[in-house]
Amino acid sequence: MKLDHYKKSSGGDIAFNIFNGVFFTLFTIICIFPFYYLFINTISDNELVSSGRINLLPQGIHFTNYTALMQAAELGRALFITISRTVLGTASMVLTSAFVGYLVTKDAMFGRKFIYRFIIITMYFNAGLIPWFMNMHMLGLTNNFWGYIIPAIVQPFNIILVKTYIESIPKELEESAFMDGAGYFTTFRAIVLPLCKPILATITVFGAVGHWNAFTDSIILMQAEPTLYTLQHRLYLYLQFASDIGDVLREGSLDVDLMLSNRVVSLTVSMGSIIPILCVYPFMQRYFQKGLMLGAVKG
Amino acid sequence: MTKSTSATLIIIKRALVVLTCFAAFFPAFNPAKMSGLITGNASLFTNTISPGIIFNDVFNRPLRMEWIEYSTIQTIYFGALITFLGVAALAAAACLSFGNTKLRRLGLVVALGGSVVGIVGNTILRVAYGMMNENANVHRLEPIEPLGFILFYVLFAAMIVLAVATLVSLPKSEENEKFQMDSKYRLFLMILPFLVLVALFAYLPLWGWRYAFFNFRLGQELSMENFVGFRWFEFLFGNPARRADIVRVLTNTFALSGIGIATSWLPMVFAIFLAEIKSNHPRRAIQTLTTIPNFISWVLVYSVAFAIFSTEGFLNWMLMNLGIMESGTNHLMDNGSMWLKMWLWGTWKGLGWSAIIYIAGISSIDPQLYEAATVDGAGRFRRMWHITVPGLASTFFVLLLLGIANVLSNGLEQYLVFQNHANRSTIEVLDLYIYNQGLASQTSSAVPLATIMGMLKSIISVTLLFSANKVSKLLRGESIV
Repeated sequence: MKLDHYKKSSGGDIAFNIFNGVFFTLFTIICIFPFYYLFINTISDNELVSSGRINLLPQGIHFTNYTALMQAAELGRALFITISRTVLGTASMVLTSAFVGYLVTKDAMFGRKFIYRFIIITMYFNAGLIPWFMNMHMLGLTNNFWGYIIPAIVQPFNIILVKTYIESIPKELEESAFMDGAGYFTTFRAIVLPLCKPILATITVFGAVGHWNAFTDSIILMQAEPTLYTLQHRLYLYLQFASDIGDVLREGSLDVDLMLSNRVVSLTVSMGSIIPILCVYPFMQRYFQKGLMLGAVKG
Repeated sequence: MTKSTSATLIIIKRALVVLTCFAAFFPAFNPAKMSGLITGNASLFTNTISPGIIFNDVFNRPLRMEWIEYSTIQTIYFGALITFLGVAALAAAACLSFGNTKLRRLGLVVALGGSVVGIVGNTILRVAYGMMNENANVHRLEPIEPLGFILFYVLFAAMIVLAVATLVSLPKSEENEKFQMDSKYRLFLMILPFLVLVALFAYLPLWGWRYAFFNFRLGQELSMENFVGFRWFEFLFGNPARRADIVRVLTNTFALSGIGIATSWLPMVFAIFLAEIKSNHPRRAIQTLTTIPNFISWVLVYSVAFAIFSTEGFLNWMLMNLGIMESGTNHLMDNGSMWLKMWLWGTWKGLGWSAIIYIAGISSIDPQLYEAATVDGAGRFRRMWHITVPGLASTFFVLLLLGIANVLSNGLEQYLVFQNHANRSTIEVLDLYIYNQGLASQTSSAVPLATIMGMLKSIISVTLLFSANKVSKLLRGESIV
């Protein structure tokens, strides 16, 4: 009787497994094929690339696109800005999140509950784009590199993640340090910080990816200062330019060379800025699940 | 004098310090704003931390035209700097007043010193004002006597009086007393700098809502003469063309958010089905690979789109090889079913990532439940339906409510990169509309209208959020914010 039941369901089981396997294989391919496609197009013969003849396999492999673009001053500058903001912005954000996340777990603090709400509630409202812009202007942070860094130091969501994580650490560890006469700073540095590594790794990735990918703040705040444009902002400009050219080309017969180089340039810059993410990301992946589970649901 | 008088005095002193700090952040009270050329957006703080404003932006041309001496500019800057140092000293003194008697005494001395420094700085600014007025061409600089002069003099003078009075009334500290502070206040002071950052970047912008009630263009001065009350509100809802615009934008916004909410169960199903792949390695690989798109920016997504869907792209090659199409076209310029396309891009980028939280949820469901169900004869689908889905329901519910509260905020980035002149009518969501109206356009209605729309959006979103919270409390007995 029981065996029967199993036999009956196994037919459906196999069908489901096949369907499931096919679905996930397809979706995974859809997710990663574009990156492969971009990559083979940046290392193949430029003439073939421009006429759209590189589709599944690279041909005439060369890396001159990358070396050529690295020499473009405008891009080098943008890369420098992007790296600087990623490093400085992420470091300041992570340290702040860790420290503030630690402080808000201290019941002894004057007005703790109010302070925590004061910080967290800012996740749910904002004054709007124009008032924000005028505020940044008023504080002297437009057309100023620090405009990338300072406003992004306090990130309420990351503070919640750290706070929740610290609450899951046994209190005795901290208390024993206090018994030995350590102050808040020492306890934080010697006990809490090392224990928080997994969650700090998670928010480091969030912060770094956020800074690396940011472009709207560059577009809105740095209008008058092209030397402060980020890499993504440059890419945005190339893409806008290239797609406009594409329009014109179809209508009349303009110089086709421009289009060719535009396609290659935008593809190469794109791939160049995806590669660092692809390199770092898989190593951090294992931390996400735990960190997110603790933080996001409890919010 | 008694202990309570000194306690009251100290509280008054703290309030005064808070006032002074506020004044340092408000452009209207900037004591360095002695020329009409200095932007009405510059506070004492701004003037101090970015010297470029005075040295390059404002007085560059006047200096070349010799309407102003370089030494005058320097005097203005150093006056502002010294005044600001005085304010900073007052802030430090207020922090010290949280300590024991000995720390308080120190704080009062610092406050006295700070006030004197502040008065010196303010006087230097006055001197600079005199120097500026000596130049024959001073009318070119539009000299104005700043309100801040008087205000800061009064504030610093009051502080001196208060500090002296408190010093007298404060009981002598004991011989061998050490500098000490309750951990209660120590912790508070440790977090204070971060609270200032939050106040500056999250709360201070609310002050910008006043632009909704003025005639104002970017780069202009805000003055009471341009106050128009609710004129722009009437314009926004009274003007038929404007109203049609808003209806169109809101339709896009609700449509895109609606599609998102209607399909918000997809990540959950994704996670449940993924968990049915029993062998570890493929499952991990799928999870890792499908989250990659989440980590690239929308510009890069557009770049991917451009590579694949433009005339020379992959799609055309495939369609032509399959014989479906004769010659390639640029699919990005085809603006049919824009909502669906935007949703597809969002799903491509976010599905794998959104599923992570449900994957985490599944791994925290007690495996004994599954075993018991299997023994009772439940098949695969029944186990999914009766154990996994209820186990994930509360997470789903929270995210759904948050999604509903965010119905007006689709975000700017995705639509900014995908917009072109041809698809505007179907892609322009509220966030993008505010950007296009407020920053990318130069009409006189741009700033006030964009401000009003941002303002209404914030108010509605917060109301929705708290309603969602109420619903959650009623149904689940748990709040979500």
